[in-house]
Amino acid sequence: MELRARLKSPLFMVGYFALLNVAMYLTISKFWIGGSSFLPMIGKLGDGNKFLFAFLVNMGVIGGAFLGAYSNREFRLRMPRVNMLPKLIIGGMLIGMGVTIAPGTCTTAFVTGMPMLSVSSFLSAAGIFIGAFAVYSFTLGRR
Amino acid sequence: MSFELLVALGVLFGVGFGYCVQRAGLCFAHGLGEIYMGHGTRIIRMFIVIFVITSAGFLLSGLISPSLGLKPIGQLRGFGFFNLLSGILFGAGIALNGGCILGTLRQIGEGNLAFLIVFVAFIPGLALVVYVFDPALGPSYSTQKVTLPAMLHVAAPWVTAALVSGALVWYFAVCRRK
Repeated sequence: MELRARLKSPLFMVGYFALLNVAMYLTISKFWIGGSSFLPMIGKLGDGNKFLFAFLVNMGVIGGAFLGAYSNREFRLRMPRVNMLPKLIIGGMLIGMGVTIAPGTCTTAFVTGMPMLSVSSFLSAAGIFIGAFAVYSFTLGRR
Repeated sequence: MSFELLVALGVLFGVGFGYCVQRAGLCFAHGLGEIYMGHGTRIIRMFIVIFVITSAGFLLSGLISPSLGLKPIGQLRGFGFFNLLSGILFGAGIALNGGCILGTLRQIGEGNLAFLIVFVAFIPGLALVVYVFDPALGPSYSTQKVTLPAMLHVAAPWVTAALVSGALVWYFAVCRRK
């Protein structure tokens, strides 16, 4: 593969993503979290607005994804099908519950917590595997 | 550093994360599905790259400034029971709607409005736990902040080195099998 194309490959993009994560910690002593960052949606901003900060970082993620999609002509407004709504709402609610019962999303566990060697993140990751596989085996098994 | 400046820098990093995630097509929910269907090479390689770079970076940050270095993320709640439970609920949720947190944010940015519904549906789930479950469970919560090195009584560099070495062996094994 040509070098320029290789530098833009998904694996390299993931590498830049990881480097950015470390750079963020080094420059502003904050790391990216997923779960608790959504608490401002129910009015909980956290001590020193820490949840609000994380929420705004995640809003930046939406902006960055838009930038990536738009600049590569991949942005397309897509409406959900009506029959998908119950699944989307139940899935979203389960995510909302999961991220607050104990902090630990895929972002927190896989991207930040496990590299930080945080025991809670290893347990969250194990739970995510169990929960996801239970649903996948049920839904795929029915097809 | 003022909060405004912190937010401005944080949002810039967020934009960078979003751009990379979009270009990589990274979503752990899809990845878990791929693993389940026996096509997990792509996501396993991505996860290992993230793990190796971030682990080394976080460990080495302690050499640059003592205030950095490894810190426990989140809390161990109910001796780990609630962490496992939250993971199971979260895992079920992402498998149901086909997008983890990263995937949801990415898809919203790409114009997929289905994930805007998922995003808004976080609200009742968050509220249920914060305003109903937490007050009921609060007094019985045992919370600890524990890292693997502290639990195993082994120095952090050894634990990181062992895990990173294992991850690299796994990476090359996956690449050879491909």
